[in-house]
Amino acid sequence: MIKLTNVSKIYDKKGSALNGVDLQIDAGEFVCIVGQSGSGKTTLVKLLIAEEKANSGKIEIGDWDITRIPRRDVPLLRRQIGVIFQDFKLLPKKTVYENVAFALQVAGETFGRIREVVPKVIDIVGLGDKMDRYPTQLSGGEQQRVVIARSLVHRPKILVADEPTGNLDSINTQEIIDILGKINEFGTTLVLVTHNKEVVNQLRKRVITIHNGQITSDQKEGKYKL
Amino acid sequence: MFVFSFFRIIKFAFQDLVRNFSLSLMTVMILVLMLLSVNTLIAIRALTNEATSWVKEQIDVSIYFSHDASEDQINEIVDYINSFPEVVSAEFHTADQELEKFKQDHKNSPTILSSLDELGENPLGPTLVVKTRDPGDYEKIISSLSVPEYEKIIDAKTFGDTEVVIDRVQSITTQVERLSFTLSILFAVIAFIIIFNTIRVAIYTQRQEIGIKKLVGATNWFVRGPYLMEALIFTCISIAITAGVVYFSSLFLDPYVSIVFQKEAFLTNYFTSNIMWLLSVQFGAVLILNILSGSLAMRKYLRT
Repeated sequence: MIKLTNVSKIYDKKGSALNGVDLQIDAGEFVCIVGQSGSGKTTLVKLLIAEEKANSGKIEIGDWDITRIPRRDVPLLRRQIGVIFQDFKLLPKKTVYENVAFALQVAGETFGRIREVVPKVIDIVGLGDKMDRYPTQLSGGEQQRVVIARSLVHRPKILVADEPTGNLDSINTQEIIDILGKINEFGTTLVLVTHNKEVVNQLRKRVITIHNGQITSDQKEGKYKL
Repeated sequence: MFVFSFFRIIKFAFQDLVRNFSLSLMTVMILVLMLLSVNTLIAIRALTNEATSWVKEQIDVSIYFSHDASEDQINEIVDYINSFPEVVSAEFHTADQELEKFKQDHKNSPTILSSLDELGENPLGPTLVVKTRDPGDYEKIISSLSVPEYEKIIDAKTFGDTEVVIDRVQSITTQVERLSFTLSILFAVIAFIIIFNTIRVAIYTQRQEIGIKKLVGATNWFVRGPYLMEALIFTCISIAITAGVVYFSSLFLDPYVSIVFQKEAFLTNYFTSNIMWLLSVQFGAVLILNILSGSLAMRKYLRT
């Protein structure tokens, strides 16, 4: 599903964000990627969604070689991958409904399909009664649930969550992790980037540790360790 | 898919416009202020042109024929003068008409009129009053008549006396036209810079949204579309407001302008008779400027 071969990303001459990373994630897996701040976790996410380009190596997602992806195909790739960000990245002038619908609108879905699917997905994340609210009228946990709904609405095969609980309290964190667990149970490959020790230890899923841009540990039902 | 996207782009444009109302209002206001400045300058140019052409109209050259000049000789000179392309009009006055005009001009001067009576005969000869397109052309007309064969039948040419005045008027009108042209260029450049930066600021405030749309999988055109549509809407609104303000301002100012130029509804007539090219040029310029500055500003944020 996701395969990185000898991937390096260098921002400046002083040091590299990722250095010769080899990684394979199979379809349906739930993988936690942990590491200290500045270890290269977010760079890895940016490479997966083609927000950044690797300096060397090869990144394959399904049938895509995204190290050679033409610029015009980047939107198509992003419609195949759901992404959850720590800072939510919701459109502030759009309502909950419109934010979720936007992910389908960019893909050219019909009006009827959007009207049918969007309310269902918003219901799944428990915000059925807040569809007309704007992001600023929601709590952090609710905003993150909107982001999850937006990333799920086009049924991606891969969901990448970059510190999804970084801005949340423990109750909201648990709710979000439960939702992510259920999404994975339905067959979506899940890549969770986090430095939340409790979350990782509770999940007991595959744990990959990154340190100084390199993978230092890869455990099947692992625990958080740096 | 294209049809869906097109309708969505239009919908998003109106949605953004309403939901970012203060930003939209500021953008339209700046566009209107710039357009009003440009139209004010257009009005000033129209008034300047009218003033300079009025001053030029006041200048003419009178050719006074001697009493001995025969009708054939006078006709030959009139035809000769009319053959110049620079000549706008050549009006011939008989000696009697000149006397009548002289009496009319001096009806309040009994001394002059009584002196005329004492002379007993008409001292004035036939006269040809010549007007040219440009004050600079009089020199050519006068020098063409300064040949020996015409010297016996032409008593005097007034140009010699008014040459300094004509030169001065010519110099002033040329300078006014140059100043007006320079100001137009200056205003156009200022308007360009202000509109360009207004659109850049408007796009800059929405840079995060542009980035988010791209991360969700929107193509560059799907992101760019609503902003271009907004540029079109801003242009239409600002042109409509400007046209309204200019029209009503012209109606208000015309009575004051008519005192100077003796012409009714000068400004209103000027704007209404030139409305098509004025609106289309301004619409085109503002739209192109909006789209150009918007596209340039967005290019940076569309790279994500």
